Amino acid sequence: MTDRLDKSPKQETQAAPAPPVDAPRTLLRRVVGATIANHGARIGLAWLAVLLFFSVFAPFLASSHPIAMKDTATGEWSSPLIDHLEVGDVTILISFILGVALWPIKQVKPAIRAWAWLGATLVVFLIANATVSPPAVVVYDEYRTREHAGEIANVWRAPIPYSPKDRLRDRQLEDSTKLDPPVWKGGEYNHLLGQTQFNEDVASRMIHASRIALAVGIIATGIAGFIGVIIGGLMGYFSGAVDLIGMRLVEVFEFIPQLFLLLMFVAFFPGDNPEILPGLPVPRIYMIMVIIGLTSWSGYARFIRAEFLKLRKQDFVAAAEALGLPLRSILFRHMLPNGLTPVIVRASFGVAGAILSEAVLSFLGLGLIEDPSWGQMLNQAARGAEFVWWIAIFPGLAIFLTVLAYNLIGEALRDAIDPYVARRTGGD
Amino acid sequence: MSDTRQADERPLLCVEDLAVSFPIASKSDAKDNTHFQTRVRAVNGVNMTVYPRQTLAVVGESGCGKSVSAMSTLQLVPTPPGRYESGRILWDGYETRGPVDLLTYDDRQMREIRGNHIAMIFQEPMTSLNPVYTIGEQIMEAVLLHQNVTRQQAVEIAAKALADVGIADALGRMKEYPHQMSGGMRQRIMIAMALACQPKLLLADEPTTALDVTIQAQILELLRELQAEHNMAIMLITHDLGVVAENADVVAVMYAGRVVEYGSVHDVFGDPLHPYTHGLFKSMPVLGQSHDRLTVIEGQVPNLAADALEYAIDRKGQPTDQQVQANPTLADVVMRDGHAVRVFRPSPEEQPHLLEVKPKHWVAVYDEDGTQHGESTRPDVLYRRAEAGEAAAAAPA
Repeated sequence: MTDRLDKSPKQETQAAPAPPVDAPRTLLRRVVGATIANHGARIGLAWLAVLLFFSVFAPFLASSHPIAMKDTATGEWSSPLIDHLEVGDVTILISFILGVALWPIKQVKPAIRAWAWLGATLVVFLIANATVSPPAVVVYDEYRTREHAGEIANVWRAPIPYSPKDRLRDRQLEDSTKLDPPVWKGGEYNHLLGQTQFNEDVASRMIHASRIALAVGIIATGIAGFIGVIIGGLMGYFSGAVDLIGMRLVEVFEFIPQLFLLLMFVAFFPGDNPEILPGLPVPRIYMIMVIIGLTSWSGYARFIRAEFLKLRKQDFVAAAEALGLPLRSILFRHMLPNGLTPVIVRASFGVAGAILSEAVLSFLGLGLIEDPSWGQMLNQAARGAEFVWWIAIFPGLAIFLTVLAYNLIGEALRDAIDPYVARRTGGD
Repeated sequence: MSDTRQADERPLLCVEDLAVSFPIASKSDAKDNTHFQTRVRAVNGVNMTVYPRQTLAVVGESGCGKSVSAMSTLQLVPTPPGRYESGRILWDGYETRGPVDLLTYDDRQMREIRGNHIAMIFQEPMTSLNPVYTIGEQIMEAVLLHQNVTRQQAVEIAAKALADVGIADALGRMKEYPHQMSGGMRQRIMIAMALACQPKLLLADEPTTALDVTIQAQILELLRELQAEHNMAIMLITHDLGVVAENADVVAVMYAGRVVEYGSVHDVFGDPLHPYTHGLFKSMPVLGQSHDRLTVIEGQVPNLAADALEYAIDRKGQPTDQQVQANPTLADVVMRDGHAVRVFRPSPEEQPHLLEVKPKHWVAVYDEDGTQHGESTRPDVLYRRAEAGEAAAAAPA
């Protein structure tokens, strides 16, 4: 009020002669710093960085369409690869570039940058949805045939010159049952990790499937964690009637059988891109991720509730209240970091669990049908008439490494948030 | 309200007839199909007055309502389960307008008051600081919230607050965590945090109870210095009569949710009138005098909950003579329909009320046989020992 206003100039004049000093580091920066200092987390983050790289640049790393080529008849250069980019490819690519561009702008608060980035990504998606229109019918062997016939020249291809769904129809030779093994087992050098029984390239499928793996973890766990923390936090802080109603909600959601809900969903919306609303096709795999997220928040809510019930009795929460801090700050700045540890540990398992759930669904044939995911590839390996080890081992290894990476990062985060441990590991 | 008296002589805070109740049992009666909840008044008609630059000490045993009175001032009593039954808390800390009743303030308005106009420090410094933030961040958060300053200025204000409470290398200490500090240091930091926004009133809820004796003395000394420096009033809640004797200007003795004696520190200590105050003094050991046993006040603070519960079970009847004899200080209970029901009345008619039995010296009395001893008034003592000392020193000259 008014006397508050006339208080501040007094402070300013008092404080003016003092030399400038560095403000203490914020919690977020400290935790990130301590996490990166941890060796296990570095390995995990490195693996996730590789996955991120593969996810963003998958169409440029593995595609049957040439990056650049010259039409021998007209002499015109063109890029079929760019022509064949889909809405998702374009959105992910531009979103990634935006993220890299926004990252170093230190003048803007990280939270605002994050929101700006999310908003921009949404805008990019909407624009891409309206403007990007790849050819409806994709003929993977088109350019190989044309090159063979001499219609095109100077063909620049991606490092792995096969799309994940390219079944090499032009090369179905007399002995079509023979599959190329990985290159070090004497396979054709183009098929780095061998071929599937449908002649698809394993390496190409692996690269494109990394998108699914990252997205499953982030979307499913993100949704579950967000809902769980909000509901659990409110239950724990207010207790009483809010707690009573919230816990009944938690119980209801715990009784929803996830697998059968997903089965029902798949039955209602067949195909890889069902129309959720008329005229709004959504990739089924993303709907599956959302459903996994919406049905698995109850565990996070229980954890956060238990922590908050304990924390709300703590003196520092009463002290924060006595300082006049708003509820938002008390809940999310003072209580949440103190109660987040079990949630982060759970989330690291949750990400791993979500990846495994997706793998299970895909293995059962309920996830992706044609498009690759690691679980779907395991399914492919099991389905074949003859067990081919390289179809199973690489996706299996990838799932293992990703689950391990999330666990290592979760462990490092847990240590970083705990200030007693953070001291020892050098995180300021 | 227009008051022509000088700001110095107008009460900063008046607690008038404050009553706060908590539920203790919820019971359904199948026979007459009623569900009633018993509530007990942890604070029952408390009156007190704090003037600017004055130290009011609230004394009493554990569980007599000292803390709840202080918490009510900032509306920190959780509602529910707590409920403000009656009373007003008049705050006259605004420079541009008269007193306002803090109990009518909503949460947003209270947040303006908390930490900014009225700050509070707690008993337990080991747990009153958030373990995940550096102490600099914690002090700065309140400053940034209440004052219109940049982050850089907030750093400087926080550093000055830390220097004020006697912490060397304030800037370096700001980057440290609470667990790296000793108990005495943490209490200093709590005080720095409370004073960073220059409040007009500091509620100190047993600020020295968790500290060892040498640190206690330092902290109280520090509070006295800061009070003079910042022109701040202090409501000091304690059960340590030694602390009261050294620091308080005015003393309110509380028992079972009521103020039973109220006066300047000289009046209360020099001439205690209420039997409970006598009891408190008697149970203090005197240096140089040997005791086989210390004198104790017989019995315990009446267990408000247990008595009320007993009554709730048999609510149609009056308490038996036996019950009354077993515990002559049975508390009031409130039935769910809002009607107050007396469990036991020492006199047939009235609650105890505060009477000004001597000039500026109030004592809680019961009316015997329905005869009124006099008008009950809100206790109000404008006395500051620092100024009284100065005046006394000035008078002979």
